[in-house]
Amino acid sequence: MMSPLKTTVRETAAGPVLEVTGELDYTSAPELRELTATITLRPGLRLVLDLGGMEFCDSSGITALLAARSHAHAAGADIALAAVPAHTLRVLRMVGLDEVFTIHPDRESVIGS
Amino acid sequence: MMCRSAEQPDPQDTGGDATDVLFAALLEDSADELYESAPCGYLSALMDGTIAKINSTLLGWLSLDREAVVGRMRFTDLLTVGGKLYHETHFAPLLRMQGEISGIALDIKQSAGGRMPVLVSAAVKYGSTGQPLLTRTTVFDARDRRAYEEELLRRRDAAEEARKQAEADRARLQEALAVLQQSLLPDTLPPIPGVETAAHYHTASPDRLGGDFYDVFPLDGKRFAFFLGDVCGKGPQAAAVTSLTRYTLRAAALHDPDPVSALSTLNTVLHERYADSGDPRYCTAVFGTLGPDPTTGHVAVQLASGGHPPVLVLRADGTADFLPTPGGLLVGVVPGARFTTATTVLTPGDTLLLYTDGLTEARTGDDQSDRYGDEALRGFAVRHAGRPPDAVVQALTGLLHGFGDGLDDDTALLAIGVPATGPAPCDPATPD
Repeated sequence: MMSPLKTTVRETAAGPVLEVTGELDYTSAPELRELTATITLRPGLRLVLDLGGMEFCDSSGITALLAARSHAHAAGADIALAAVPAHTLRVLRMVGLDEVFTIHPDRESVIGS
Repeated sequence: MMCRSAEQPDPQDTGGDATDVLFAALLEDSADELYESAPCGYLSALMDGTIAKINSTLLGWLSLDREAVVGRMRFTDLLTVGGKLYHETHFAPLLRMQGEISGIALDIKQSAGGRMPVLVSAAVKYGSTGQPLLTRTTVFDARDRRAYEEELLRRRDAAEEARKQAEADRARLQEALAVLQQSLLPDTLPPIPGVETAAHYHTASPDRLGGDFYDVFPLDGKRFAFFLGDVCGKGPQAAAVTSLTRYTLRAAALHDPDPVSALSTLNTVLHERYADSGDPRYCTAVFGTLGPDPTTGHVAVQLASGGHPPVLVLRADGTADFLPTPGGLLVGVVPGARFTTATTVLTPGDTLLLYTDGLTEARTGDDQSDRYGDEALRGFAVRHAGRPPDAVVQALTGLLHGFGDGLDDDTALLAIGVPATGPAPCDPATPD
């Protein structure tokens, strides 16, 4: 069955970590976009999107990820994706975004760094 | 025997002298007074309808003198033409049959020419042997009630009118959406010598403008261009991007038909238009050119992809494979994006299939938790390899229908093939 989108934000020394679980699609993507727009960033910080629990991501979801990237860059901050599920990684590769986003295979390597 | 429909009120035993005095003061002087001045009309009539007795209240409503009525008029003489008719056909027969009738809405004539809505009840009085003697009738003023009913009807009509208006508005909006949607897609695909084309567009929701697009158009008399893509998102905003994308690609291709060049122009246009708007918009697209060779009947395909799923090539020998275009970037995300090229040659019986990810991302399985996927699509294509484009698109349309609710995104299909029967090396100047 379809799982509703759930998001949690926690602050770390390196910057906020936004954990995304469930399905990121046309219906739920606006929710993520609204949430990321409220996250305060400043130069030197890095916003990490932890996608380990994300079950699905369509083109609207990709747009939400790109909106988060725009938001981070506008604040002079960095952005990284962590624990990207295989399906989404395949989609990101297909649309060439694996070269636009910094992608970390697991959350420890990026959050711990 | 005259009607005394109201008995002398019998004061209840209230057990108090003061109350008795109060009641006595309120008591009617007589039953006649109560009859004459009651807040409803009374009349008694013989069985032939002749009015034998009538009270003042009713005479007042009719503006008639007692002498002009009693013994001279029948009850039906008091009614309007419509009332008379209803009396003859319904009121009187029912009264004869049941002995009584109540709450019938009629109009009585007023001498000034007006009419007054009333509610009429009647009962037959019988003699000791059961023979009908006379009819007693009460007449209630229904003017307020009628006005209220008319107001209700008027409001119901107004509500009905509003509903019709809303439906008309909705139909007009649907029509506008359909026209806009059609402006995003070609009505028909142009004939290409030695090439067959077929397309299908599945709209996930009739209210929601889709973000998928495709087109086929001539470049220079020999070559043709085609594209198919998917704008991220849906609705009017996505449709605006779709429109910008379609016409940018068409114009860019006429200027320089090189696929990478066309996508690069689109990338620049989308990035400049939307990157800083706070509402980033992107699309995936495959753009390509067709170079039919009239001597061999082969068609050279050059294409480039910006983040779009790889096209499929269905071969005449019954195989089907993706034409990989890895690394091509979503169009409009970053300036100077890189796009990936691929080439192939279509020979008789081959078909190139372009699709959007609505097809491969359709939900499948008993609980709709799986996605249709690339491999399933390739397997499906293998089974239809060697068939002409319209047959392939028709088969895929059937597949889309089969997804039912699982197909929750718009889906565009475009198939371009070379006819299998007789390469018919044709002169490109001659329409086939």
